[in-house]
Amino acid sequence: MLPGIASAESWMTSAAEGIALVVIVTGLLQVAFYILQLVFAAFALTNRPPVPRGATLWRRYSDQAPAISLLAPAFNEEVTVVESVRSLLALQYPDFEVLLINDGSKDGTLARVIDEFGLSRVERFVDDRVAHARIRGFYASPALPRLLVIDKENGGKADALNAGINACRTSLFCAIDADSILETDALLRVVRPFIDDPDLTIAAGGTIRIANGCTIDAGRVTDVRLPTNFFALVQIMEYLRAFLMARLALGKMQALTVISGAFGLFKRQQVVEVGGYSHGTVGEDMELVLKLHRHMRDMNQPYRIEFIAEPVCWTECPEDAKVLGRQRSRWQRGALECFVKHKAMCFNPRYGRIGFVGFGQILLVDVVGPLIEVLGYILVPLLYALGLLALPWLLAFLSVTFTFGVFVSVATLILEEIQLRRFPRARELAILALVAVVENFGYRQLSNIWRLQGWWQFLRKQQSWGTMTRKGFGGASPT
Amino acid sequence: MTTLVSLWDFSLLLCLIALAAVAGLLLARVIGEWRGKHRADWRRKLLPAMMGGETIDVGGSRLARSVAATLTLELTELVRGSDREALITAASSAGAGEELRRRLRSRAPQDRLIAAEALAMFPDHVDAVTQVALTDRSPDVRLGAALALAQEGRAPSAGELVRALGIGTREHSLLVVSLMRDLVKTDPHSVEALLYDLDLPDEAKLAATDALAESGAIDHAPLVSWMAEAAGEDSDLQPRIFRALGRIGHPAGHEAILGGLDSPSWQVRTAAAEAAGRSALSRAVPKLAGMLDDEEWWVRFRAGEALARLGAAGRLALHRAAIDPAPAARAAAKATLAERGMA
Repeated sequence: MLPGIASAESWMTSAAEGIALVVIVTGLLQVAFYILQLVFAAFALTNRPPVPRGATLWRRYSDQAPAISLLAPAFNEEVTVVESVRSLLALQYPDFEVLLINDGSKDGTLARVIDEFGLSRVERFVDDRVAHARIRGFYASPALPRLLVIDKENGGKADALNAGINACRTSLFCAIDADSILETDALLRVVRPFIDDPDLTIAAGGTIRIANGCTIDAGRVTDVRLPTNFFALVQIMEYLRAFLMARLALGKMQALTVISGAFGLFKRQQVVEVGGYSHGTVGEDMELVLKLHRHMRDMNQPYRIEFIAEPVCWTECPEDAKVLGRQRSRWQRGALECFVKHKAMCFNPRYGRIGFVGFGQILLVDVVGPLIEVLGYILVPLLYALGLLALPWLLAFLSVTFTFGVFVSVATLILEEIQLRRFPRARELAILALVAVVENFGYRQLSNIWRLQGWWQFLRKQQSWGTMTRKGFGGASPT
Repeated sequence: MTTLVSLWDFSLLLCLIALAAVAGLLLARVIGEWRGKHRADWRRKLLPAMMGGETIDVGGSRLARSVAATLTLELTELVRGSDREALITAASSAGAGEELRRRLRSRAPQDRLIAAEALAMFPDHVDAVTQVALTDRSPDVRLGAALALAQEGRAPSAGELVRALGIGTREHSLLVVSLMRDLVKTDPHSVEALLYDLDLPDEAKLAATDALAESGAIDHAPLVSWMAEAAGEDSDLQPRIFRALGRIGHPAGHEAILGGLDSPSWQVRTAAAEAAGRSALSRAVPKLAGMLDDEEWWVRFRAGEALARLGAAGRLALHRAAIDPAPAARAAAKATLAERGMA
């Protein structure tokens, strides 16, 4: 062989190995971080503060439980809004107020709530510290002192929540999605850190689970079952990983970067101090938590942001690839927006573990993760086929993308089974174990493509939310 | 290359271990379901007997003792008075007390807490709760045990508990107020004594104050005098003191509340305004009217609320403020009046 050709071949092999190395090292870092999270999550679950059982929980905590305002933004929720409000009003908590915020719905959301609950227009003295679109009116009824409807001009979810923050009169508020279902004792459980450590705790989040397939009666999940739709099944595993592994572990490390917009409890004062939810981002829930970290660190004030595994909020997930894809690319866009907006915190010693662990996770999993992984799917098999990579490189790539992936998913399921056991039948556990394996072959790759779409939308500064088609939990139909 | 292959081998190994563990858990589920039938049989036998307060002989069956303990946990929350006493006697004869005693040393704090809460209801086993659960390594178990004992009227003295739990030093839970409330029911003077113990942190004293404030068991004058003094000190606990003063409404606290209205801290001003309204402190009307122009919304809101509570003088002040040149005061007064249908 001519020396020139040999040198070019050697250069190409080195380049191919370099590419594979970057892909494998990135994958390994992710896997190592996930395994660390599993360890922390297992520790957190094993040592979670004991909580009394149902009746004792009420007796013990109801005396000291601070009042909570439940902020439920609603936009075109005509089909489900009445059932959602009924379900919220039936929560077991000593002192709470439901603030339903009609965010300029174009359908009959407002009229339906007014008719169903016999509301009439009232006045309310509200704060003006956080910015939001104009409030058109307040509606309430003396017969339902726990319900207040705020009718405002459309401004998006963050804007609606800001209106709720200004209108609420409690030191704590709980941000939820109007179409989610909270377990009856979820508030009593999520408030625990605010009772146990009232001076330090500024926010707490709980677990979101998928309600698709479950039996729902009168706004309550009465029988936990698995859905038959594949996308819904896979999302059950994804949510288990996200909440039971990642958030629980990051909470334990005091490096939680997101509390789900579907269920989070916050101290109003600190949220007002950071200006409430930000407009113009699709990741407003993540951004709020980052702002809180930043604010408290900048003020040099001790604080805690907790995640508790047991208070559960049930939500309906998309069963259609198109809708799911839109949701995932939006989440990706949200994470990127937050990262860029607060990039000064990344690996900045001033922000301690949130700067290193929290932002390290965003950088590794949300920013570079999908790019490198998709690059690996294309290049590593191709370079192997061209003879530029030896078999061990391909095997190592397969290990970081498939086999370790199976391990992390199955290990999370084990954690769920040992510690929480929310799936009542053995058959369901078996199905989920199968899903934990299968999702790594096809779905994981598809999910990465959706995330790349999110990257692309982020680069093009696209702001739309896309539409989320919901079936509704109770099958109520608009009048 | 060896490293790369090892990576593949290691990942496969981890994968197989995890899958084997899931298979094991599935098997455990199946066995558990089979054992569940035996548990259900014992449940069917024990439930009516325990509810009827009958003496039950379960022989040496550990499963029966365990079922009896679980039933005790479920049923004691549902019954009260003599029915509960009968239930506890029946549960004791079925070995529930012994089983719960064993669970007091469980590895899982959740089990220890639940066992301590239940065992506090068994007069024969209170010593175990006091000696084991009150010294548990988990602060949640210690506090839970103290709460359960206090609720049954079987707790050690308030001073002992404050020190054992580290209230105000290691323990900052708001549940200590509930603990004090239960202690006040059986031994109000030991709780009152906390106020005069110089070694105790203010947080413990404040919990005692909150509890005493709601109780008619002691003379409120010295308590209010302590609170009024504490209200003048610069402390994070000030808002809680003012709220407690408002709840008591004792005239001896009025000067302190008036002083709180001028505090540089908006949290204290808010709490003092609320207290002024609750304790019908009509002397506060001019100050409260001035606070409608406060820069903090919470102060404006509580001042408006207090004025609305303070009868004709308060309402008059609100109507005057509604035409005040200061826009914040004007808006606060108008909104307060409109919200209450007094506009």
